[in-house]
Amino acid sequence: MVDVTMNRQGRRVLFKHGSVLKTVVLALLIALIVLPLLRTVLFTLQPDTIKAWSDVLTGRLSTNLFYKPLGNTLLIGVVVATGCVFLGGFLAWLVVMTNVPFRKTIGVMATLPFMIPSFAAALAWGALFRNDRVGGQVGWLQGMGLDIPDWLAWGITPTLIVLTLHYFSLAFTIIAAALATVNSDLVEAAQIAGAKGGRILMGIILPVTTPALVAAGSLCFAGAVSNFATPALLGLPVRMQTLSTRLFGMIEVGQVGRGYVIGILLVLISGAFLWAGNRIVSGRRSYATITGKGGRAKRLDLRGARWPLCALAMVALVSSTVLPVVILSASSFAPSSANLFSNWTLHYWVGLSSQSIAQGIPGIVHNEDIVRALSVTLALGLAVALAGMLVGLLTSYTTARFRKGWMSAVITQVSFLPLLVPGIAFGAAYIAYLGAPIGPFPALYGTFALLVIAGTAYLLPFSVQTGRAVIQQVGGELEESARLTGASFARRLSAITVPLAIRGLTAGGILIFVKIIRDLSLVVLLFTPTMPVLSVLAYRYASEGFGQFANAITVVILFISIAASLIANWLQAKSQPWLKN
Amino acid sequence: MNVLEATRLGVIGMFLSSAALADGHLNEMGPEELLPLAQAEGKVTVYSFTSRIGKVEAAFEEAYPDIDLQGFDISSTEQIARLQAESQAGVTNADVVYISDTPVVLTELLETGIIAPFVPPRIADRVPSEYQSPLLAQRLSTKVLMYNEEANPDGAPVTNLWQLTTGDWRGRVVMVDPLQRGDYLDLMTEIVLRSDAMAAAYEDQFGKAIELGDAANAGEKFIMDLFANDVILVGSTDDVNVAVGAKGQESPPVGFTSYSDRRDNEEEGWALQVANSVKPAPGIIFPAVLALAAEPNNPAAARLVIDFLMGDESETGGAGLAPFYVAGDYVTRTDIPPHPDAVSLNDFTAWRIAPHETAKIRSEIGDLILTLQ
Repeated sequence: MVDVTMNRQGRRVLFKHGSVLKTVVLALLIALIVLPLLRTVLFTLQPDTIKAWSDVLTGRLSTNLFYKPLGNTLLIGVVVATGCVFLGGFLAWLVVMTNVPFRKTIGVMATLPFMIPSFAAALAWGALFRNDRVGGQVGWLQGMGLDIPDWLAWGITPTLIVLTLHYFSLAFTIIAAALATVNSDLVEAAQIAGAKGGRILMGIILPVTTPALVAAGSLCFAGAVSNFATPALLGLPVRMQTLSTRLFGMIEVGQVGRGYVIGILLVLISGAFLWAGNRIVSGRRSYATITGKGGRAKRLDLRGARWPLCALAMVALVSSTVLPVVILSASSFAPSSANLFSNWTLHYWVGLSSQSIAQGIPGIVHNEDIVRALSVTLALGLAVALAGMLVGLLTSYTTARFRKGWMSAVITQVSFLPLLVPGIAFGAAYIAYLGAPIGPFPALYGTFALLVIAGTAYLLPFSVQTGRAVIQQVGGELEESARLTGASFARRLSAITVPLAIRGLTAGGILIFVKIIRDLSLVVLLFTPTMPVLSVLAYRYASEGFGQFANAITVVILFISIAASLIANWLQAKSQPWLKN
Repeated sequence: MNVLEATRLGVIGMFLSSAALADGHLNEMGPEELLPLAQAEGKVTVYSFTSRIGKVEAAFEEAYPDIDLQGFDISSTEQIARLQAESQAGVTNADVVYISDTPVVLTELLETGIIAPFVPPRIADRVPSEYQSPLLAQRLSTKVLMYNEEANPDGAPVTNLWQLTTGDWRGRVVMVDPLQRGDYLDLMTEIVLRSDAMAAAYEDQFGKAIELGDAANAGEKFIMDLFANDVILVGSTDDVNVAVGAKGQESPPVGFTSYSDRRDNEEEGWALQVANSVKPAPGIIFPAVLALAAEPNNPAAARLVIDFLMGDESETGGAGLAPFYVAGDYVTRTDIPPHPDAVSLNDFTAWRIAPHETAKIRSEIGDLILTLQ
């Protein structure tokens, strides 16, 4: 294994250069992320809102307002993150390192759940497991005569399962990318020395991929604690509150001060967890693993365990991908969700307005709101992906190459910040930040630019994290050689770092595109009627009882997401190296 | 009409409209005078708290083909947040605001100058003055106790609200979380404001005077007991409707929802019916109001929309009022006959909310509910 070792002189020169770059990046991140959040904090410190702090932390309301939701939130974060790392890691190991049957299928399916909005998965859970606690229509299983207990239908258990099945693909993507670049020399050396599979796993693969595991765990933790839709849909009927549902409720009823306080506390708590995770990663000297040498290691022969392990993987994958999609699609055709598979009609897709169905709402093809929202959503996805990749590349390059110094630490922490901020709070902060004119700049409220800027800032952790994992694995020696032969910073970036990192950056761009086009929580407040996006329309239809339209739109979002991934695969054939033989 | 002529008309229209604004005459204009000005404006944006705006849009554009009505279905709570943000940004997106949640609307939107009142002169003499000020109420809407009439063919299974706190109804009362929807918080607040009636109803039900315990009054006691009895909280009124109304249930729950959602019974396969005889009252009745943005982009078209939404001169108000002329909604115009299928307003026992009274203790009740969850 080749370490990133630089001579002292080189480091000094780079450090000087790094200072400029770091200042630029830091200023950018402060403008994008810190200032909006700062405005939120300042808001809670005004004389008439400062009481919100004592209400939340010490008053008679604090138990229900903060401490109980906090307990649920932490439980969700820890269990989901652990579950995701195990499930995602298990699948990544199967796909990258073993000869499990249907490797490619598993690899492709494992990236799909993240494209399904988590509220869709929660609705699908309801369609299956809903019991008669809230009366009305029961789920399919209860309808089959099974008696579904409350704990399986509502509350913490289904929330944990749905969120794990949603976020594990994030862990999979990160861990698989890391495993795919494990230096084969190491594995081969161990195999020649007679080490068994288990020993190779524990002794080489785990230590080398620890940064990826920690990164995956932190991202899943942050995603799970700030998720709103799933605990709201599955928890509210049993009055289970998390900090994000509490925050949403407070802002909804106009208690903005308390809402912001809860949001700020959520940021601080999650921040503590992520800081700890980041310490583990940056405490390591190096983990450059692409060195331009070495071939692929022999895959581990699972022998008799091949099929059982394949079956195990398939259970998780089918229930997180195929099942929700089937239920969503079926219900976009079914007039009654009680009978998912009968009386199918195409009305919700291509029907013209009819007074007798759904209050005269035409099928989504004929609905001008939806058609306009589609173009806005696509443009938004592209713009945010592009902007996110640019800022993400700059940021991850800076922190990976100039790891030392307080500025890098601050950059890393700041680029993580949006993860900890529930989308709705981030949206609210951005309205406070750019909603009103600043000096000569006009208010951006209701403009496309506001959506793009907020979306870019909100999703920066994903572009930075993906970029970082890749760039750190591009051996520093290559860039160093180029520098020694006189290549400029721009030239080194364009000739070495970008080409080597393009795989990860493209993956990051797709991730961002997919995340923004199916994001709900961020855009739900930034959305204005003149700038509609698909996910908000879907949510509106769902909350007004027009589930078929909501599901039809969700299917459109799914279709775009999957198409985006396929196009990216086609453009970048090497984007999933772990699928190569 | 050639292009030149159209342009000239447009310019004249704009001139007229700004002249009218300057003179403040728009408020006195009838639909015929507003029409040419509105046609020159060409479009109008409406924020509506009900999805029925879709039907209004179609009807309006049929009546006035030259004016594009963009209707947006946005809940009252969200409209308030949105209008405040827009005002802060100095942006006006909506021309017309159609909203409930009056306790908050009056203090946060009207008194702060974000919206402005308008009463079309055409119908001013046919709407009682209490519904013209401070904002024009188009109709009265409800949040009342509903039951499943298929499972209870002999009438409501509940005769007194206090029964909802007994073992029979444990885990079988459904409503939207009052901390997430303003009108449900208004309902809870009204129950506290009507504590005397609640105390009397308690005695009727249990044959003894109420013991308050930790509660400050009978209304709070009821709310505390209701939550202690495992009331089910859901996210939207439609969830309540499905839970209570879906046909084929053996022992369906009861729930608080809009009386007028009964209109969807046939279409959705529900059997919703109001428990009007429940003591002391089945719930609340509150105004749905129409207002202008303080400085609408399309001032004439905005007024024309409000005029349209108040109904035409035909017997039941024509196309503009048709979506709201349903059982369970009470149109404020005195010359429109009550809907034949609904309990008449005089016989309807729900409490009328007094927005200013509600606004006084609303957040306090929100806090109480917070401690119960």
